Amino acid sequence: MSTWLEASVRRGILTTRYPASAATADEVPATGRGPRARPGASGGAALADACPVGAIGPETLDQGRCIRCARCLPRGFDFSGPVEASTTDRAALLEPRAAPPLRTADSEAPLRPFSRSLHVFLVDVGSCNACNLEVLALANPYYDSQRLGIFFTNSPRHADVLLVVGVPTPEMAEPLRRAFEALPGPKAVVAVGACPISGGVFRGNPDLTPSLADLVPVDVFVPGCPPTPLGVLDGILRAAGRARREAVP
Amino acid sequence: MTRAPWTLVEADRFDAGRADRALAYWSPDGRFALYNDYRTGQSFLVSDPGPIPDQGPPSWWARGAGPARPFSLADPAPVEGYGVFTFPYGPVSLGVAESGRFDLRTYGERILAVTPIGGFKSRRLRAGLAGLSLADAGLRIERTVGNFAAAHVAAFLAAAESAVGAEVPLEELWVRAFAQELQRIYNHLHVIARIAEAANQNVGSAQAHALAEEMVRFQGRVFGHRWLFGALLPGGPARRLGSEDRRAIPGFLTGHEQAFDRLWSLFLESRTFIDRIQATAPVPRDRAVRLGGVGPTLRASGVAWDDRLRVPHAPYTDLFLTLPQESAGDALARVLVRVQEIRASFSLLEQLLERWPSNGAVGTPDPPIAPGRGLARVEAPSGDLVYDVTVRAGRVDQVGVRTASQANFPLLAEGLRDQVFTDFHFAYESFGLVFAETDG
Repeated sequence: MSTWLEASVRRGILTTRYPASAATADEVPATGRGPRARPGASGGAALADACPVGAIGPETLDQGRCIRCARCLPRGFDFSGPVEASTTDRAALLEPRAAPPLRTADSEAPLRPFSRSLHVFLVDVGSCNACNLEVLALANPYYDSQRLGIFFTNSPRHADVLLVVGVPTPEMAEPLRRAFEALPGPKAVVAVGACPISGGVFRGNPDLTPSLADLVPVDVFVPGCPPTPLGVLDGILRAAGRARREAVP
Repeated sequence: MTRAPWTLVEADRFDAGRADRALAYWSPDGRFALYNDYRTGQSFLVSDPGPIPDQGPPSWWARGAGPARPFSLADPAPVEGYGVFTFPYGPVSLGVAESGRFDLRTYGERILAVTPIGGFKSRRLRAGLAGLSLADAGLRIERTVGNFAAAHVAAFLAAAESAVGAEVPLEELWVRAFAQELQRIYNHLHVIARIAEAANQNVGSAQAHALAEEMVRFQGRVFGHRWLFGALLPGGPARRLGSEDRRAIPGFLTGHEQAFDRLWSLFLESRTFIDRIQATAPVPRDRAVRLGGVGPTLRASGVAWDDRLRVPHAPYTDLFLTLPQESAGDALARVLVRVQEIRASFSLLEQLLERWPSNGAVGTPDPPIAPGRGLARVEAPSGDLVYDVTVRAGRVDQVGVRTASQANFPLLAEGLRDQVFTDFHFAYESFGLVFAETDG
């Protein structure tokens, strides 16, 4: 017993200060932020061709489609978007390329009356496991979601928030619908990653549902492929109206 | 031209049914079958094998063509008896975070037989690859399984390079091996953390999860992406490891290895932890071979097979690697193999950094198995991974895959027989299976 105690004390506190403080560089790698066009970025058809998922249009940049493959980097883009990129409005992920809008936290009202702790249930409708692992990472000592009153449950009947990862396959449509119906109200659905938002890298496959919103009402969209754990945390907090928003010019 | 890492044999001169020979891959078009011989440690590629004799895993599973609908690994002899019923577990609320289902035959406490049912996550991945450029196909391949991305991309690229005979800069091969060993350490740590979690070792599991998170962050720092997506692809973002980066790496790795050693010595002193996993879900050697098991699971059952040694390829031919092996075949043995592999991978990373090749040298690919068609195998964190890629006019034509999770699900069903319900999670986690890898 004493050895485990000693081991814990020796390691010290690992937990992030987020959301009280901003995310640190260590917590967010380059691809943990969305792409932004630098002034003077090249345009035209060649650029749209470079994007394998059609996220870059002539005038717009769809953060909900971007899989952070970085092919646009040599053409004048960089990963300088916000860490707190989740939104309650799918259309807000479609940014004008020239001047991305400055979104502020107070422009969004709390979604649902979740005033205290939040119980979260994960449904995987066809993921590569990376999003699952990033969601699970919220339980590790570096993120420790329990300090914010966020708990993962093993049953949809105990949950307030449904986190959905993956691109919806036909086989998972019915299990997803039943899980959604099993959630007691009030409830919220968070789409985690490019796959449930837009089909991600699998967009265009006729067998798959390109958007989770076609199956269940989606309240929060978390872009990224996969989003970082802090990105997922931001999405969960946004569902509860507790998200912070960093100022990104 | 390098020597092929297998012997090419014609079907009528090959005795597939011999003991200790296991089918590793059977191409979707039926033209090639790959066998491992565990007695001699050799691989055989059999051309035009005809019908594969019924042995071990379902033939379509070895056949590199994942199902597009829910599959079921039905038990050949369904268990009947007084009060025996089927308990369906999953696909949602399975408690393993992924969507899959297990039909458990039971009368209450003991699991009499298990039928794993997958296919819920089938993203129709391989069907969508035809006609894509290698880079575009690679974006999907690495999303087969996020946490094995490096291994899948390395195998896919090696097969494609062999198909077209493209030479690869030696440094590229080094970067691929470096990424794979990092990801192996992460995955083994993750498996240990999950088992500790299932055994209610709260401090141990928290610390193991913290070590795993540190590995993912390190990957993000070195390659720009926490799961290495895009890091190995042609034209990807790939921060190539400059000499400056390489100097900073050993410090992190040494500290991380020491932290892991301290943690593991505490686990070894915990009787409750060892008791929960010892003798849990045992798979004896002969069953493991017959069912076509691979990777750490097979090595825990007493078979010393690792593609890094048995299928010689650069840079592993230049490195020193010890092959961990255990004989008990239970969850403890599988954990012990993973612990030793973590140490071996730290050593490999150190060796890779010491012998980093200077620019200019190139590696030659394996000879193609047919015009425009290449086969490659790498040891993914979960075991032997086979990619069979046909390239036409610079674009992907057909891809056949046999993944480690496909190979090892029958072993899970074997190991779970006669276990009690409460052991399900240790058993499941100790195999390190990923449903996403079976569905494709």
